[in-house]
Amino acid sequence: MRRPYDLALGLLTAATAATMAAALWLIFVVAPEEQVMGAVQKIFYFHVPLAAITFLSVFSLLAGAAGYLWTRRAAFDHLAVASAEVGWLFCTLVLVTGPIWAKPAWGVWWTWEAKLTTTLVLWLLLAGILLCRAYASTPEQGARIASVLGVVAALDVPIVYKAVDWWRGQHPIVFGPGKTDPLAPGMLAALLVSMLAFLLLFALLVAARARLAAQEDRLAALVEAAVRSR
Amino acid sequence: MTPPGFASAALAIARKDLRIEGRTRETTLASLLFALVVLVVFAFAFGGDAAQGDRAGAIVPGVLWVTLAFSAIVGFTRSFRLEREDDALAAVALAPVDRGAVFAGKAIANFVLLAALEIALLPLTAVLLNVPIAPVAAPLALVAAIHTLGLAALGTLFGAVVARLQRGEALLATLLLPAATPLFISAVHCTATAIEGRPLAADRQWLLLIAGLDVLYVLVALLLFDAILED
Repeated sequence: MRRPYDLALGLLTAATAATMAAALWLIFVVAPEEQVMGAVQKIFYFHVPLAAITFLSVFSLLAGAAGYLWTRRAAFDHLAVASAEVGWLFCTLVLVTGPIWAKPAWGVWWTWEAKLTTTLVLWLLLAGILLCRAYASTPEQGARIASVLGVVAALDVPIVYKAVDWWRGQHPIVFGPGKTDPLAPGMLAALLVSMLAFLLLFALLVAARARLAAQEDRLAALVEAAVRSR
Repeated sequence: MTPPGFASAALAIARKDLRIEGRTRETTLASLLFALVVLVVFAFAFGGDAAQGDRAGAIVPGVLWVTLAFSAIVGFTRSFRLEREDDALAAVALAPVDRGAVFAGKAIANFVLLAALEIALLPLTAVLLNVPIAPVAAPLALVAAIHTLGLAALGTLFGAVVARLQRGEALLATLLLPAATPLFISAVHCTATAIEGRPLAADRQWLLLIAGLDVLYVLVALLLFDAILED
């Protein structure tokens, strides 16, 4: 029964590695250097996919958490824990790559703009969820409490964004109305392939983490059975 | 005997919490004293008279809401610590009523206690930071009420979460403050409008957003409270 999952993980790993290599080649060899910002702009190809996938992780967290509360099936909780942890990792990388670009481009490491502030708040919310799960007295209690917090956090994120957006309004908008063809052709290809590479990486990490959670459950059940039978 | 309905169960729990509070005055005294300490620390931090005059609108709302948030956390923590003694929470969870009613009762009690804290804290802030609030009492009360409702709902939900965890109380601020970001941004913004005597109509979109948020937090908490109380 585990064989198909192993095979899928193996294929996903290979696909991620190949796409990542292609993305690096496109970013550093093919894509032209940006006229004003120069080499600094290259971080855009990492920052934007990471940010997009961080917010994707909020959706998979919501699906896992709400699904667990609804059905109480362990598989949903495994998705929730994997989404929270991998989402937190991607969110951390967004918060690291952003300031590295912002310092040369805007002259400051940080500004309280809507996208930045929302990402920081999301990072704090995810960290809180992970802490609560760690503090729980049983894994089952941890799953329930983390699911409740996961649902609240996922619903909160868009409202945080709206509130900060009204409060402050400086993040560059590359794509949007009135912005036709902002990127040179080589740039767009590099961005899209990089997006795919990080999407595959996210899927791989979530799948691997979810399987680890399932194995932890099975180990706990086996230990319990062994203790009982003595 | 038929089990009580949702409203009467919620009111019974709110009345019980408020009666305990009326007799012990533990939460009100602890949070009010804590609020006073935070206010004094803020006065030191901003150089005493710095918050007066023209800068009142820039500083006072922030001071007020940070003070309120910190002392509210004292109250939310106590709200469920009450139920820990003699494992009362197990009895509450076993009661043949909708668990949402338990949330509603606790949230009503917390809202009343927060309102009492605000009624004491606002004049204190006005005196210590020299801001005239008597002429703007009505808009200020509206702003406080609409934001306190959301804070009470979210605080009660998270208070229950951390009460279930071993040594979880230290986590309450970490969980509550980021989640309440929209409430705080709006509260500070609208309070500044009220204190400076500008019409609140200018902040209609904020007040509508927070009213919607209040409804969302209450509905989500009513739905999810069940999962927190099981054990």
